[in-house]
Amino acid sequence: MQINTRRRRVHIQAFLSLLPLILILLVLRVYPIAVAIGKSFTNWDGLFQSDWIGLQNYRDFISGGPFLMILRNTLILLLNVPLQVFIGLLIALLLYERVIGWKFFRAVIYTPQIISAVIIGYLFRIFFGFRGPVNIVLTAIGLQRLAIEWFGTPYTALAVMVISIAWYGIGWQAIVMLGGMSSINPSVFEAAIIDGANYWQRAFKIVFPMIIRVIEFGVIASGVWTLTQLFPFLHSMTRGGPGYETTTLDYMIYLKSFGFSFGINFGMACSIAVILLFIILALTLLEMRITNRAEMGRQR
Amino acid sequence: MKPSKQVNLKTLLVLLCLILLTVSFLYPLYYMLINSLKTRNEYFVNPFALPHEGLQLINYTTMISQFKILTLFKNTFIISAGTVILILIVGVLASYTFAKLRFKGKAVLFVAVLMTMFVPSQVTIIPLFVSFSKVGLVNTYLSVILAYLALFLPEAVLLLTANFRGILDEMVEAAEIDGCSYLQKIWHVIVPMGRAAIFLSIIFYFIMSWNDLFTPMIFLTRMDKRTVMVALAALMGRYSGTPTYQFAGLLLSAIPALIVYFIFQRNIIRGLSMGAIK
Repeated sequence: MQINTRRRRVHIQAFLSLLPLILILLVLRVYPIAVAIGKSFTNWDGLFQSDWIGLQNYRDFISGGPFLMILRNTLILLLNVPLQVFIGLLIALLLYERVIGWKFFRAVIYTPQIISAVIIGYLFRIFFGFRGPVNIVLTAIGLQRLAIEWFGTPYTALAVMVISIAWYGIGWQAIVMLGGMSSINPSVFEAAIIDGANYWQRAFKIVFPMIIRVIEFGVIASGVWTLTQLFPFLHSMTRGGPGYETTTLDYMIYLKSFGFSFGINFGMACSIAVILLFIILALTLLEMRITNRAEMGRQR
Repeated sequence: MKPSKQVNLKTLLVLLCLILLTVSFLYPLYYMLINSLKTRNEYFVNPFALPHEGLQLINYTTMISQFKILTLFKNTFIISAGTVILILIVGVLASYTFAKLRFKGKAVLFVAVLMTMFVPSQVTIIPLFVSFSKVGLVNTYLSVILAYLALFLPEAVLLLTANFRGILDEMVEAAEIDGCSYLQKIWHVIVPMGRAAIFLSIIFYFIMSWNDLFTPMIFLTRMDKRTVMVALAALMGRYSGTPTYQFAGLLLSAIPALIVYFIFQRNIIRGLSMGAIK
């Protein structure tokens, strides 16, 4: 009897403690997701018009001109992932040596993450501007041919974006990988040194296999990040233009809904959002499977 | 004798690489700083030189008056602080429940909460905007705070729950025997014991809210309600002919988050190394 009332009290406490969280998530996350999915089959304009048009939005988007461009841009921009993972790993290896002042270096390398992506976008826009410092240096060392209008063509503009995004993400990669390396038992290293393994052998034969899961996490997390968080970079550098030449999925949602220059089409924007949602969902499930596999491996 | 020489050479090489990297990461900040103190002419003659026509503090005073930066700081601070406080209240309550109470369906509920973490904000922003404008929340600080709460809470709950699990059950039970009520247990045991994770959440979500552009840009259209980053995005186009003003504006908006980082960087990096946050 007493146990029963006690258990009931715990249940009431748990319910009341979780209530605010659950309410917030239901009202501000689950409900909007449901609305977005539902409205993706309509010609919603946010006000009066909301007629069922079936898969029309999806068909229009996928067969429309910008779709292939968006696909191209996304694939190019995803190149920042291997770049930042590779450089991040190298920096983590350097920091792992724990030379004098490594904590200072670690703090500095993480600094770009603290600066707003808006600021970084504008900074790179100025750096790679036609009269910007990059072109001045290129001209000074005799490479006038390379001193071009970087934001004049989509490919060079996308290249600058890849560089700026990698510059922004490297610090995060390095810190996370350093965290993974710190969990390696130092006695493994001592054994390897006694066996006569040199620095590179130690890096590739011991460190690399042991943090492969951290690397996988870094790849997927920054891949998801690239697909969903580029808004400030694009908005500060090219606004997705000229035309849709540098637009991505997430920026397209903005252009179709609040970027007034292209006309308001909330229904279309919702259908693009649903496509993005399913891509992210697939990547997340992949990440979870990798994590589970790693957990199982560790238990064995 | 020989091995120690080798070690020294390697240390030197590593140090050299790290110094080069540091320069490449700090140079843009340095470039912003020196050029924000020059005249427009000086900048176009040689952007790499130090200012030599006297420090042009007028760039900053112009930005402060044109940009109304104090109002912007106030707006952004209200939103960031409001977000952090509400995340902590809701997050600590929920995380304590997930970490220490036993009840049916806990695991399922926890996974359900985490699943919402991965939904990008672009998916929910349109329905939220329409709902918010129906109930008159557009152009209020609360609209942005609510959107951030929904966006950040799942991750914060993950971080706090993982941390609270490490607190010994005996500590909680001892407090119970001493006659602490439910909320007193949380206040006197959980909050002080989990302060590392709580502190990390405060710093991290403050900086995240401070730096964000997308959400406030959609919800806050009135000039006097804007956040720093929204105003900055609007301002940069207007001064594209005068980079020195732009640098002053960029630097001013970056400074608050940078100060917070350099005071608390050890806590942030320790938290990141635990791999809890992206």
